[in-house]
Amino acid sequence: MNEFIFFGICFIALALMLLFRLIVGPSVVDRAVTADSIDILTDMALILFALYSGRGIYLDIAMVTAVLGFIGSTMIARYLEGKL
Amino acid sequence: MRYVIDVLIGLSVFFAFAGVMGMLRMPDSYCRMQSSTNISTFGVLGVILGGILYAALYLHNGEIAVKLAVLGVFYIITSPISGHAIAKAAYHHGVRPEKKMVCDKYGEDLEE
Repeated sequence: MNEFIFFGICFIALALMLLFRLIVGPSVVDRAVTADSIDILTDMALILFALYSGRGIYLDIAMVTAVLGFIGSTMIARYLEGKL
Repeated sequence: MRYVIDVLIGLSVFFAFAGVMGMLRMPDSYCRMQSSTNISTFGVLGVILGGILYAALYLHNGEIAVKLAVLGVFYIITSPISGHAIAKAAYHHGVRPEKKMVCDKYGEDLEE
């Protein structure tokens, strides 16, 4: 049971390491891709916490953040392309 | 069966670590995009499969298993779409590969 917490802490540490690329990224594309990756890693930690606590409500939050991350990165792509 | 679940989630952590290392150390924007795809395919798939097995066999909770399956299908469908859109937008925005670019067919197509 406790190894879910351990793996969740690993995912959160990886997301904190990605904050470096979010701050010093040379272009705006790097920042958009990195924000999407941080979103995905946070979702993984949420899924592991839902398995640890046995409640399904955290999976709803993970689903909402997944949809918002996809819509956000696609809208940023359309904006950079100049079609928005 | 617990060992199978732990190995699946551990493999997922390893692939996420490899993707994060690639995103921190790759020299180029497009190489960094390719490393981020590593996170969103294999890093997601191990956690989803292990979670479905754990929820079905140990928690006896069908709700969590179905929600995890929906999340996995959503990630597998939408991650190539957003990656392709971001790469195309990066080219249009003016980001170019670092210095060793041999040929540029997409740019030649845009010239015509």
